[in-house]
Amino acid sequence: MSRQSGTDGPSLERPDFVVRKERLYRRLLAGCAALTVAVTLGIILSLSGGALTFFGDVSIVKFLTGTNWSPLVPPSEYGVLPLVSGTLIIVIGSAVVALPIGLGAAIYLSEYADPRVRSVVKPALEILAGVPTVIYGYFALVYLTPILDAPLPIEQVIIPSWLGFSVPIIPSWLTFSVPIVPDGVPLLPEFALVVSEFTLVVSEFVFVVPSLGALNALSASIAVGIMIIPMVSSISEDAMSAVPDSLREAAYGLGSTKFDVSTSVVVPAAASGIISSYVLALSRAIGETMIVTMAGGQSPKMPYFPNVLRNFTDSIEAMTASIVKIASAESLGQTATYEAMFAIGLTLFGLTLTMNILAELVRRRFREVY
Amino acid sequence: MATKPEPAESIRRDGRFSLKELKGKAFEGVLIAATLVGIVALLVLFGYMFFDAVGPQAASAKWYLLFFGTLVAPTSAFALYSRRRPAVRRMNAKAFAAVFGGLAFSLAAWVVFDATGPRGPLLYVLLAGVSPLLIAGYAKYVERSMFVGPAMVASTLVALLWTLGTEVFVFALFDLIGLLFGWIPVLGSLRLPVGLPALVTAVSAGVPTLAVLRYLVRRDAPRRAFVLVPVVAALSGLGTAGFDFWLHPYVDVLAAWVAYVCLVGVPVAAVVALAVRRRATVREGLVAGGAVVAGNLAVGGVALARSLDPSFWVVMFSGTVVPVAYVVGDAVIADREGRIGLLGPFVLIGGVLLGALLEDVVDATGPDTWITPTLLLSTWNGLDPTEAGAYPETVGSIMIVSVMALMSFPVGVGAAIYLEEYAPSTGPAGRFANFTEVNIANLAGVPSVVYGLLGLALFNNVLDFPPGIVFTAGATLGLLILPIVIVSAQEAIRAVPDSLRRGSYGMGASRWQTLRNVVLPEAVPGILTGTILALGRAIGETAPLLIISLAVSGSTPDGLFAGGVALPLRIYASSANAIPAYRKGVLAALAVVLLALMLTMNAVAILLRNRYQTNDT
Repeated sequence: MSRQSGTDGPSLERPDFVVRKERLYRRLLAGCAALTVAVTLGIILSLSGGALTFFGDVSIVKFLTGTNWSPLVPPSEYGVLPLVSGTLIIVIGSAVVALPIGLGAAIYLSEYADPRVRSVVKPALEILAGVPTVIYGYFALVYLTPILDAPLPIEQVIIPSWLGFSVPIIPSWLTFSVPIVPDGVPLLPEFALVVSEFTLVVSEFVFVVPSLGALNALSASIAVGIMIIPMVSSISEDAMSAVPDSLREAAYGLGSTKFDVSTSVVVPAAASGIISSYVLALSRAIGETMIVTMAGGQSPKMPYFPNVLRNFTDSIEAMTASIVKIASAESLGQTATYEAMFAIGLTLFGLTLTMNILAELVRRRFREVY
Repeated sequence: MATKPEPAESIRRDGRFSLKELKGKAFEGVLIAATLVGIVALLVLFGYMFFDAVGPQAASAKWYLLFFGTLVAPTSAFALYSRRRPAVRRMNAKAFAAVFGGLAFSLAAWVVFDATGPRGPLLYVLLAGVSPLLIAGYAKYVERSMFVGPAMVASTLVALLWTLGTEVFVFALFDLIGLLFGWIPVLGSLRLPVGLPALVTAVSAGVPTLAVLRYLVRRDAPRRAFVLVPVVAALSGLGTAGFDFWLHPYVDVLAAWVAYVCLVGVPVAAVVALAVRRRATVREGLVAGGAVVAGNLAVGGVALARSLDPSFWVVMFSGTVVPVAYVVGDAVIADREGRIGLLGPFVLIGGVLLGALLEDVVDATGPDTWITPTLLLSTWNGLDPTEAGAYPETVGSIMIVSVMALMSFPVGVGAAIYLEEYAPSTGPAGRFANFTEVNIANLAGVPSVVYGLLGLALFNNVLDFPPGIVFTAGATLGLLILPIVIVSAQEAIRAVPDSLRRGSYGMGASRWQTLRNVVLPEAVPGILTGTILALGRAIGETAPLLIISLAVSGSTPDGLFAGGVALPLRIYASSANAIPAYRKGVLAALAVVLLALMLTMNAVAILLRNRYQTNDT
């Protein structure tokens, strides 16, 4: 960098060497910054390279519309929909946990908590996002599933009261149950021990609360939900803190209570920040790998439709889990299954990137308001 | 958020029950519950895990009483005593940092170098470190310091690149060239007239030598400066050929413990010498450094005489005894007021030791813990949970984190400096900087499993590295944390007040001089804090390691290019084990160990931040 003014004669000129040295360092540092762009390029190139090879073997339409995913069993089928369904189930479950809780925490921290409490609680919440995901997965698998399973020892058949008559929960000895091994669960030999019970559905009106499998989407999505709470709460809280005090004062001046101010002034004013935090948190849930692999299972399936609860009590396979499953399989070589990993990776990358950019756009709009 | 005026109803409060007020209170209760539910859920799960891992229910009341007497009572008394005495508290924190930081450092250094053997790393240090030292010495001799910086950086890079190059990089480079140009018929059929190592040696010695020669001629350098030419030629030649052919035999002659003295003791001595010199004279610095080296040799000798392992004790001496002695000496000489604070860590350690000693004497039953020496020091056993250990995995994780730090720290800080200090806001360079910033923000949101795919494609497929090696794991995770490192470094650099920069420019300093002498020293604590936090988080990353096919089981990796193992992978792989003793015993203990590693790094980062925050503002 030459910073010489040049007005005062050559005495103020830097020696040529210094100028060149400065330029060298500048270029080196710019190279470091350029490396981050290279990383992005590398991701895109490596993913699309593999994906292109894959789509040479498998038609893209079949990939996007197929309802069967079995890449490792010989007549390989590569329909991505079961995986999308698994990811979607996790996202919905974790959204149910994290979005309201995160928003509540954000309102509390921004509007109610005094600074001392906030300075303790906020970092404590951040810890939730810092715990290694493999430990969350372990929690979900080993502790959360049994805890959730305890109140539901067997399937419970509840006939909705709007039918006009009510039947109490049928005790286990009354239901006709067939012990079978749920499909897809035997991930490792140990899991063959796990047996769940299926009840015959007596009529189509009967509402069945199925028993929890050892691997299930419920505990995985709760764990993912807990993990993304701080993403929601801290970004939403930033947005709420940015709402100018004049708005609050005006509302108080009109006789509003704190409840009114929080719910009808601050939250709407910070809406775009909150939405952007939601989008970011969900994109994090989509990309989460270890929790859904360990606790969610590795058995791809299309969603159960009439009885939606079974989607959560059964094991699933999310997109990320399928990548892990293929990568853990013994040496595959450059087969279509190996390249399928990159195709799913590209889908994931595109999805999360779109969501991140979307969140940023929403937030920008919000920044322009104030 | 800032204004908290009393709600309107307090004005007309007449003691009657107000529905509005109830609604407000209920809402607040719900909000508090929402804030706490995540934390409480995690605490409960941690509680379960801790209970399973440590088994505190098995310990007898006598045991608790014993440890209350030896450990809890003295440490809390000490904490109470130092609470109102800032000088004592400060010294206490320093002593804790020296004792436990030193222990952590020396144990980590010992386990890693014990796995790789001390001689290989020593060669790297020699080759990468000697040439810049020579250059610095020469600069001092001719009293011209201008070329020192670039020459030192370049020589280190060249040495590292070429030494590593004989192993992997150059061959990877040739592969890449073959990949790019091999399809051209003439080039594809060309064969090298000489062996590849000879060619690499010639190129690596020739290029820097010619560059130095050209530079010296164009500058009309003084005659004696031409001494540099043979020095550079010899060093860069050594850097390549020497690694395998010349230096190896000489280094191999060294006893292992002497190699440890050179590898750990001498750098520690250099740091001590620099620290003493900054506060006293050069002579005293040299004496202190010499004392450390002499102490190392003495410890090694005594250990040999007593037929203990001299290598271990040398590392422990340099890593733990020296920093503790430095802090103690510092307190005795400089900080009379807070001297008592030195006792803090020793009260803690003494309490634990005394309790452990008395445990058998009074016949108290301890907790039924899974965190045993076996777990920490032996290899995995899939059949007998009491024999299962995770020593290789722990060491593998430490090695991966070290590679990660080496890869991401320089690049991340460099990028942050460029974006904060150099990048203009307009023009093509400004657009590039803007794009880079957006790009970094997006990279931070890319799922970790995608980085695993990147590592797989880049290192395993393009560069053709063997699958699942430590270097690949560290480099992949290094790319993963790069955006986090950059962002935190940017924040730290941004926090340096502009007045300091202007002052420096006003004195006529160039931009780089300002950066090196003013901005970076101010920003370093913040940068380090952010980096260590990022590393702590990355130690638990599992998905990328699975994708680049790191082995689940294996022996301790004996080098950067050996097959790696990692602690989180072990937890993942064994979580499917249905035997309760594994599932809720060994595994819970491993999770506690992983969390402890992570929390230690976080604690270091937070200590660093607090220390420098209080000092600066």
